[in-house]
Amino acid sequence: MGKKMNSEKLGNFYYGNKTKKRREWRGAADTWYDYTRWLANWKVMAKFMMKPANLKGFFRYRWMGSYLAVPDFVDRHTEGLRGPQLRIAHKEFDFIVEHVCETIGNLFRADPACGGDEEFSRRVVVFDENMMSQIMNGFPNLQMVCREIPVVYTPSTVLQEGVLHYIDVAEEFGLPSDVCPMPAAELGCAIDDDFPQIGICAVNCNTTCDGSLMGNGVEARRFNIPTFQLAVPIRHMQESVQEYGAEEIKNCIKFIEEQTGETFDWDHYFKCMKTFNAETKLFREWLELSKTDYPQIIGNNVALYRDAYYQVGGGRDARFLQNDREITELGYQGYEKKVLCASEVRHRAVLWGVQAQYYTAFPIWLQNCWGILPLIDMLSLTSTSYYSEDDKEQAYLDMADLYMKMNMRNRSNGGYEVGVDDLWRFCEEFRADMVIMYEHIGCKAMAGYHGIFEEQARERGIHLIWVTHGLMDPRKASRKDMRGEVNRYMRAVLQEEPLDPTLEDFADDNNW
Amino acid sequence: MDKIKQIIKVMLIGFAALFLLSWIIYFFNLDMKASVYLKKLMDKVYDMRKRDRRL
Repeated sequence: MGKKMNSEKLGNFYYGNKTKKRREWRGAADTWYDYTRWLANWKVMAKFMMKPANLKGFFRYRWMGSYLAVPDFVDRHTEGLRGPQLRIAHKEFDFIVEHVCETIGNLFRADPACGGDEEFSRRVVVFDENMMSQIMNGFPNLQMVCREIPVVYTPSTVLQEGVLHYIDVAEEFGLPSDVCPMPAAELGCAIDDDFPQIGICAVNCNTTCDGSLMGNGVEARRFNIPTFQLAVPIRHMQESVQEYGAEEIKNCIKFIEEQTGETFDWDHYFKCMKTFNAETKLFREWLELSKTDYPQIIGNNVALYRDAYYQVGGGRDARFLQNDREITELGYQGYEKKVLCASEVRHRAVLWGVQAQYYTAFPIWLQNCWGILPLIDMLSLTSTSYYSEDDKEQAYLDMADLYMKMNMRNRSNGGYEVGVDDLWRFCEEFRADMVIMYEHIGCKAMAGYHGIFEEQARERGIHLIWVTHGLMDPRKASRKDMRGEVNRYMRAVLQEEPLDPTLEDFADDNNW
Repeated sequence: MDKIKQIIKVMLIGFAALFLLSWIIYFFNLDMKASVYLKKLMDKVYDMRKRDRRL
């Protein structure tokens, strides 16, 4: 127990039950800090539960039960951290907790079964989970709600069994069990009558892939509100599709205007894009720090948070920018003091492929157990372009660009250059000697590259470790299975010993 | 004056007790251990709820 990293034997906290034995002692200062943030998160959640609509929602919707494990979720993503990394993690995850509470609050406010605020519901435009939100930057009087995020996406990260019930429901109704669990869970939730019925209209998108598109088509029968299918090109790197993408954006904007009676507000759009560009500038600084010998904002401290502000925030919420500034400040402080992210840095890694939703804390395990620094992940390596802040015609192309290049889509689709060539380019830029290759069993998008990745990693002398997972279904490949693949490689090929032997093999199948 | 001192003393003891209790809950992860039982209960509530199950 103590101030130094790896002073606590973290594997001993797992004892086969749902929760850990206790929380860490990280030295007086860091433990006090973590305790105060724990109190703050409970305060946010208690305040959320005091609203009658939210309390009703808690009893009405099965997915709300997952949120009982939120403090455990935060603990998992701060496991073993000290100093600036601990503070960066809390800045991000605590803000996510607050933001999700607000999103759910809006859902329940509009829901006839809970808040019943019909006037508010008429100002809600429901967005698909895996789509960018920048179109709504031009509708300041409307509220965008990504319905599936608090209902399916977030519960699957908070609890490893968070959406299994919905997947099983979908399969009971005839959906094959080898499809992607994300649209399967969304569909199962719709079948099980567990989505709040809100909003004046909806926009669905073919991102990440056709699985989403097909699932949405069936779900739309449940929601019974006018729905626009935003079909963005898959081959997003080709010049020939850009105008088509922009045309789709125009059609979507026209649809929202017709359904809501609102007019797209260009001044507000450009104001939001200015905020978005400022966030992009700071993210670029984080990437530059990660290329140095003392990276600071890495692994978990990029992944989920980047999803949140890039996709959902979209520049509309200036609190993300303020948070980013504080995180950047902490990053520079850590860099100047030459703070290390692991007690011993043995490998620098790029994480490629799509992460397992039920094990988003996997990068932290890599750091704590094997001294592998997860410098950056594929889902965070989205667009770092600066978008127009004053040209309307360019803005349509910009929005199309963002929609085509949403988090999960921009590299899993779009061709060889973004899925394969760019990996090696990033390995060179980040001076990575290792690639942790997530392989989602149920995804066909990147499966075709498997042999190419192996061959090219060998040519470049880069250690390539495959980590197979089931995206939202740990029954297909458990957290332990994922760790086992890294352990085998580290032992058999690199013949290394773990920094924390208790983390090499421990029982967490039953854990939240 | 004595009464005010008495009130302050009681408040300080109260805060100290709350702090100690919250610290014990935090360090021994008692909030999450309690949540396990609450989740089991809520799952039963969700199972009992009538649903309009259909495609």
